[in-house]
Amino acid sequence: MSALLEVHNLRKFFPVRGGMFNRVLSDFRAVDDVSFALKAGKTLGLVGESGSGKTTIGKCILRLLEPTAGQIRYDGADITHLKQRELRRLRSEMQMIYQAPAASLNGRMTVGQIIGEPLWIHERLKGDAARDRVLELMHVVGLKEEHYYRYPHEFSGGQQQRIGIARALAVQPRLIVLDEPTSALDVSVQAQILNLLQELQDQFELTYLFISHDLGVVRYMCDDVALLYLGKIVEVAATEVIFEAPKHPYTQALISAIPEPDPDFQREEIIIRGDLAHSFPAGGCPFAPRCHADTLAECETVPPPLLEIERRHQVACHLHPAPPGKELP
Amino acid sequence: MPDLLNIEDLHLEFHTYDGVVKVLAGVNLRMRRGDVLGLVGETGCGKSMTALSVPKLIPMPPGRITAGRVSFAGEDILSKSESAMEAFRARHLGMIFQDPVTNLNPLFTIREQLVDAVLYQRAQGQAVPGRWRGFMPSARQLRRDAQARAIELMRLTGIPDGDKRIHDYPHQFSGGMRQRVLIAMALAGDPDLLIADEPTTALDVTIQAQILRLIRSLVKQLGLTVLLITHNLGVVARSCERVAVMYAGRVIEEAPVRELFKNPKHPYTRGLIAAVPQKDISRGGLEGIPGSIPNLIDPPSGCRFHPRCPHVMAACSGTAPPTVPVGQQHSAACYLYTEGA
Repeated sequence: MSALLEVHNLRKFFPVRGGMFNRVLSDFRAVDDVSFALKAGKTLGLVGESGSGKTTIGKCILRLLEPTAGQIRYDGADITHLKQRELRRLRSEMQMIYQAPAASLNGRMTVGQIIGEPLWIHERLKGDAARDRVLELMHVVGLKEEHYYRYPHEFSGGQQQRIGIARALAVQPRLIVLDEPTSALDVSVQAQILNLLQELQDQFELTYLFISHDLGVVRYMCDDVALLYLGKIVEVAATEVIFEAPKHPYTQALISAIPEPDPDFQREEIIIRGDLAHSFPAGGCPFAPRCHADTLAECETVPPPLLEIERRHQVACHLHPAPPGKELP
Repeated sequence: MPDLLNIEDLHLEFHTYDGVVKVLAGVNLRMRRGDVLGLVGETGCGKSMTALSVPKLIPMPPGRITAGRVSFAGEDILSKSESAMEAFRARHLGMIFQDPVTNLNPLFTIREQLVDAVLYQRAQGQAVPGRWRGFMPSARQLRRDAQARAIELMRLTGIPDGDKRIHDYPHQFSGGMRQRVLIAMALAGDPDLLIADEPTTALDVTIQAQILRLIRSLVKQLGLTVLLITHNLGVVARSCERVAVMYAGRVIEEAPVRELFKNPKHPYTRGLIAAVPQKDISRGGLEGIPGSIPNLIDPPSGCRFHPRCPHVMAACSGTAPPTVPVGQQHSAACYLYTEGA
C-alpha cells in the first residue's frame, strides 16, 4: 500500500525582521528539511519539545501556512502549489483538531451551527438534512441531542474537544492532523478522548498525524513516531522500537525523562544539559551542544543526515552511521 | 514531635455571582518536618487552594473560610493578622509557582529581584532591638552581603555563572533557568516549608526532569520539607514520599507513594492511575473515568465522586464517607472500607 501522505524536504522559514525599515535580518528555520510518509489508516506521531516545529509541519501539510520549500503529496498528487479553489476540495479530505478546544470554537455559534458549518460549505447541506447529519455526528462523538442548541462555553474541556472532533469529522476526511488534542485536558478526560479517537479511526478508517509532546500519549496512540529537534527529524521508527531501543541521544534522553507513574520503575536517568537553544553551531548537529554522548569531531561541523540504519528505522546521528551500501539519498 | 503543618477540616467557599462555590469541604492534611508530600488531583479539585491557605494568600472576599484550622508548628495561622503573616511567610515559607514567566518582573534584573528577596527575608527574620541599631551594618554592606547570598543561592539551584548572570534580565533566561531563579528566591529565607505549585507543568519534559532532580537534591542537601502540588502522577512517583489525592475539595486517599501506586484503594485513585497512558498498555486498553468533574456550586451529595464511581452504593449519596485507615499509614475516604456500610 502506498503512502497517503508524503512530505519531501519540507522547509518553513520565518523571516526575522528588525533594524532600519524592518528589513529581513535572517531566517528562523522552524522546519528544516523534513521528510516522512504516512500510510493510510496509520498514526504517525510527531514528537518534540516546544519550538521544535511540530505544529508548523502540521499547518504546512494543511496549507494553512505556505511552505518555503519542499513538496507535499497527498494520495499521490502534489498539493504544494494548489490554488485556493482547488484547496477547498482538499480541505474535505484533511482536517485539523486543535489543542485549545475553547479557543478553536466560535463562542457565538451553537454546537449545531459549529458542526453544521462545514456541511454547508462543502456539501451545501442545510435544513433538516444538515440537522440529521449533525445529530448523527454528535452521537458518534458522544454528545447528547440536547446539546444541539448550547454554546461552547457551557461545556467542559473534554466535551468541547468532542465538538471539535465532530466538526472535523463532518466532511468525512481521510486524514486528520491532531495538534496536541489532549494536552489541555485532565488525565481522566484525556483517556476518554484518546479512546474516542481510536474508535473513530477504526470506524472511519482515518489516518492520523498526531502531534504531541507527551510521550506517554504518543506510545499509546501511534504506530510510528518521528522525533523532531529544532525543526529537523532526528529519529523515525515504529513506536516499540523508539521506546525500547532508541538510538539517537536526544531520543534516549527524552524517553528517560518521561515521568512514569510507577515508583518502582528503575531506569538510567539521562539528564541533558541546558535547554532548547536556537543558536547552534552552523552546519553541525543541532543537538551537539546538549548531547550527553561522546561527541565526535564532525558533530560540530557536519550536519548528520537522516540514514536508515535498520529496516524502517532512520536516525540522524554521526554515532550511528548507516550500514554500508544502504545510504538514503 | 509536633506536626510542622496541620490542616484540619478546612472548609473554603467562594462567593460568586453564580452562587457559592464550595471549593474545599473538609480537607485534612498533616506534614512532618522533612516530608515530601505530593498533593495530586485534577483541575478544580482544590489542591492549589489547600496550599494557598497556608500562607493565607486566598483573596478574602470573595473567599471565606467557614470552618477548620490551619496550624504551623503548633501556631494557629488563620487568626494571624496580615502584618504578622508577612513576617511569618518570610521566616517559614517559600513558594514556587507554575509559570516562571509571569512571576519575575521583566523590568528588573535578576540581581535586583533576588537581592530584594534576600533582604526582605532577612529584615523580617530578625527584628533588631532598638539599642543595637547603631551597630547594624550599613545598607551598602547589607546589600553586598545579600548579593553574595543571592549568588550562592544561584549556585545552589544550578545556575551556571551566577556572578555574571545575576545582572541579566528575566527574558535572557530560558524557562527552566527562570524556574531555578524562582526556586532560589523561595529558598532565600531558609524556609521550613517549600510549597511548589505545579513547578514543572509549563516546562518541557527534559527540563522537567532537571527541575525535579534539583528539588530532590535540595531536599537531600537542605532537609527541606516540600508540599508538591501536581496533576501529573508521574511527577509524584518520581519525587515524593507520600501522596494525598484530592477530588472535588476533599482529600480522598493518602498513602506512602509506593503503597498508593501498588495498592490504590479509592475508586477515584484507581481510575486516575488507570487513565495514565503507561508502558505495556495496548491499543484500546486505556480506561478513562466516565463523566467529568462536578460543578462545585451544586456538588453531588455525600461522596462527591459517587456519580462517576463504578462501585456506587446507596450510602454514597447520603453523607460524606469518613476517612478510615486501610493499611500501613494508608487512609481512604470511601464506604467500601467502612464497616457496616
